Amino acid sequence: MASYVTTKHSPLFPILMIVILLITLFPIYWIVVTSLKTPVENILPVPTLYPHKFTLDNYQKVLLGGSLRNLFNSIFVTAVSTLLSLAIGFLAAYALVRHKFPLKFNVVFLVWIIIVKMLPPVVLAVPLYEMFSKMHLINNLWGLVVVFQVYTLPYCIWMLFGFLKTLPLEYEEAADIDGASRLQIVRLVVFPLVQTGVVATAIFSIIVAWDEFLFSMLFIRSPELQTLPLAIVGYIGEFETLWGQLMAISVLAIIPIIIFVRFVYREMASAYSLGLK
Amino acid sequence: MKSIGKTRGKTLFFWSILLPALIVMLWLTVYPMITVFLTSFQNYNYISGRRRWIGLGNYRNILTDQVFLTSFKNTIVYCFSTTFLEVFLGTALALVFYGNFRGKSIFTILLILPMMLSTMVVSSVWKTLFHYDIGLLNTILSQIGLSRVGWLIDPKMALWSLVLVDVWQWTPFAFIVMQAGLSSIPQEVFEASVVDGATYRQRLFRITLPILRDQILLLCLLRTIDTFKIFSKVFALTGGGPGNATETTSFFVYREAFQYFNLGRSSAASMITLVAVVLMSIFYLRKMLNPREA
Repeated sequence: MASYVTTKHSPLFPILMIVILLITLFPIYWIVVTSLKTPVENILPVPTLYPHKFTLDNYQKVLLGGSLRNLFNSIFVTAVSTLLSLAIGFLAAYALVRHKFPLKFNVVFLVWIIIVKMLPPVVLAVPLYEMFSKMHLINNLWGLVVVFQVYTLPYCIWMLFGFLKTLPLEYEEAADIDGASRLQIVRLVVFPLVQTGVVATAIFSIIVAWDEFLFSMLFIRSPELQTLPLAIVGYIGEFETLWGQLMAISVLAIIPIIIFVRFVYREMASAYSLGLK
Repeated sequence: MKSIGKTRGKTLFFWSILLPALIVMLWLTVYPMITVFLTSFQNYNYISGRRRWIGLGNYRNILTDQVFLTSFKNTIVYCFSTTFLEVFLGTALALVFYGNFRGKSIFTILLILPMMLSTMVVSSVWKTLFHYDIGLLNTILSQIGLSRVGWLIDPKMALWSLVLVDVWQWTPFAFIVMQAGLSSIPQEVFEASVVDGATYRQRLFRITLPILRDQILLLCLLRTIDTFKIFSKVFALTGGGPGNATETTSFFVYREAFQYFNLGRSSAASMITLVAVVLMSIFYLRKMLNPREA
């Protein structure tokens, strides 16, 4: 009786589960098998479901073609921009939770954060491009680190604000009575208490930064500074797409991010439970 | 204890830790938005750097431009149909897969994989699957005796192919959000209704869905916000084509600015987008800032 629906006991239940998994996972399977096929096998009029002639050539070509460089660029930009956002976002979120700024500034700031989160980033592209050109931040990985703040900072402030809001005031008051300075309180009391929240924020920010395409495309010219999404598009852009290599570099872009999957699962399940938003 | 000096020190402290984020936001978002706002009333030649005020000229120009109107329509169609399909399918799946069953966590983890992939990775694999001659989808269609579909090259089909990709990638997200909502409803609620003799339909429409109303709205908003921005998928899969069949507002703004250098028009289109976003977000903002009210 505890069960809400009865479909679970019907033989259709496992079948439905398998069908859903097939639909979900097939394209991912296809990325992997395509990357392991020879160029000839990849343009057969009737595609083969698994590599009849297994090859690692695509990986070799992609790696020799400089994709390790792209991988490094992506990791660098993602890591540094996330760290930067976490640092300044954490401080800002704490200030917004614990201090009432005049003129309803807290609300104004948060509303602006949400609007930026919702805004298509291309809207900001022209003025940012002009500004960054003057500051020699175009075609520069540090320029990307800075411009990624448009995505990651609102994200981090918003998420950390949510975590910090749930924190009871007592710990900080106790530390204050014990004579800790404000900075010590933030560093030694508040930060450890929301550590899991910070990790969660970091991972979601990493996923956002890893995916970024628009500003990377507009701001980066030299092939050796390209991030992975740019390199991937480079493989599509040719007159004749080399499907095997395209999929090999895609695999390269998947691996570093997919290690977080268990974590994302746990976070999402708890973040979206009713009443816990 | 609380001297004036201490209060002032406190205020100073909070301002100083807010300052870095404030500066970054002013520099990277507020200032550019003001520039875009001003440029939208100007005829701005990027090459010569000359700006000339033309009042509402750009807006008049854009709002009568068939390409812009098409791109706006496409964005709305894309945004609402993906959101509807994802929320509908996600809710249905969450209802079917309610409760505990063998392999639940591994099942859910596998479902998360698509949404963790970069848009560019997703676009490339669908580009192979959609390929007219050698793509798997058309091969299957022709082998079961149906005619091939121009997934990305048929103007009537292309936008729906983009919808399909988004639905594939993000329905699992809707599923997980709804599952989380559903599992936080106490079992007793359902048990009581069963005792009272409610049928499955009654339970669904009178109890479960009303309880989940806010969850469904939140989910709709999250997906609308995200799909409204669509740019990379269009860039990689169709380039806005065939014709203007998959041109979206983001793509329009991008093209006007970085291909035709019509910065005035591009800015006007940006402002229209901003207004649309703010209108869409009013409800969201109210909800997010006043959780009590819910």
